[in-house]
Amino acid sequence: MPLASRRYEVADMMAAQEFYHSRGWTDGLPVVPPTDEAVEACLEWAGLPPAHLVGVEPVRARAITAEKLAINAVMAGCLPMHFPVVVAAFTAMLQEPFLLHGATASTGGCAVLVVVNGPIAAEIGMDATFNALASSDRASTVVGRALRLCLINMMDVRPGAIDRSVLGHPGKISYCVAEDEAGSEWLPLAGERGMPVGASCVTAMAAGAPRQLMNEWTTVPEEILDTFASEIRANMRHYSIWPGNYAIVVPPQLRAHFHAAGWSKADVRAYIFDKARILRSEWADCGKGAVVRDRGGWEYTALSAPEDLLVIAAGGPAGGFGAVIPPWLGPKSRAVTVAIGACVDCEIP
Amino acid sequence: MRILDPSHEEGAAGFAPAVRLAALEGATVGVISNGKEGTKGFFAAFEQVLKERYGVGEVVLRTKSNYSAPAEAGLLEEAKSWDALVAGIGD
Amino acid sequence: MPSAGIMTETFVSAAELMARVLGAEDYPFAVIEHPISSADRAALAARAERAAADCARLLVEADG
Repeated sequence: MPLASRRYEVADMMAAQEFYHSRGWTDGLPVVPPTDEAVEACLEWAGLPPAHLVGVEPVRARAITAEKLAINAVMAGCLPMHFPVVVAAFTAMLQEPFLLHGATASTGGCAVLVVVNGPIAAEIGMDATFNALASSDRASTVVGRALRLCLINMMDVRPGAIDRSVLGHPGKISYCVAEDEAGSEWLPLAGERGMPVGASCVTAMAAGAPRQLMNEWTTVPEEILDTFASEIRANMRHYSIWPGNYAIVVPPQLRAHFHAAGWSKADVRAYIFDKARILRSEWADCGKGAVVRDRGGWEYTALSAPEDLLVIAAGGPAGGFGAVIPPWLGPKSRAVTVAIGACVDCEIP
Repeated sequence: MRILDPSHEEGAAGFAPAVRLAALEGATVGVISNGKEGTKGFFAAFEQVLKERYGVGEVVLRTKSNYSAPAEAGLLEEAKSWDALVAGIGD
Repeated sequence: MPSAGIMTETFVSAAELMARVLGAEDYPFAVIEHPISSADRAALAARAERAAADCARLLVEADG
């Protein structure tokens, strides 16, 4: 089936760069020129016809086809083997609970965090260890970048245009991480969220920047999680008090203590659910006294339910570091998990 | 080399605006607020001006449940009973 | 039914773009100063006056 997109003739690679930059079709970085051959290779690998409807963004009634996604994926530097992950991630982003328009237009400036589970992570060379949250490997970088290019080009999410982010954060360039399933005794994130264990899946979350923490002075799980909970409480005080999907990233050095003590992800979630709470009066300690009013005694919880915490095993082997990744803004956008290569409307056997 | 267009290429269908009111006197004007800080005071003053200066009969104030999303279906259904609609969008 | 949108000035470019992508290139709206989240009562009242005047013009058919 032929590709339907308009074609342009350019002289060479450098001319292609200026052509795309001048039209606002890039993220500012050089792009791989999307030829028919490269785009068709992606579609063939994923087994998708060009006109396959990945989904519709409802606010703008904007249809996203496999062809357009493949063009942007090639531009981002994706190889055919990366493309199924891009398709699954954008499928997740187009699900109604994700609220894609709100998440990408908001002044709040979140990025789309993508967590990859299952065998596909290793197959495409994703590294869930060193530099896990920042361009750890080619696959992670180009998959995340492909999503951003598609937002720019298919949904006009450009700074100052639809994208009203005041600050944004570097995750908007690419924000993709594999979970370290081989190095963890925990159930994978996708399995915790109801997908068949062993299936290749992606979870998309409208996410703020990661907030790094450190506690290498204890082996007690509660004390380690007190540090995570404290960072979450800081986000509630300084940024947004509303509950939503928080993510925590737990690298091996801290993870070992949970495994030694027999703590599951469910235990971690229950503890954080209980501890990540503040009183409205605490706003007065950080310059927000004007909105405390007569509600100082009101308690706010970071999580509406323990299940709202995404626990991700990832990161390099040495150092008692961890990270808290806050939501864009409370419950407005919900994290969505989809299987790679599966029909979202099909029942899981 | 021949390269492909990565952007959305279809044109929007467009729409024709609804017929304007002959006058505001006696009309029911619905207001859909995004509910953010400051909107309460703003729309209270707005309602007063509409009634006292422009003779609007009734002002119905509603607030979206999610200020980052379009108004929910129930609100839009109720809006059909109004003569005109004012939406408070960006803050 | 006739409708009018009110926004603060920092959202004008976003609204113009959304109007264009939805096929309503010249859709008019009322604009007030930004922000309202920290504006006092008097400031909100002044902005409401101007917005009401703009909305009255936008909602009613023009004479002649």
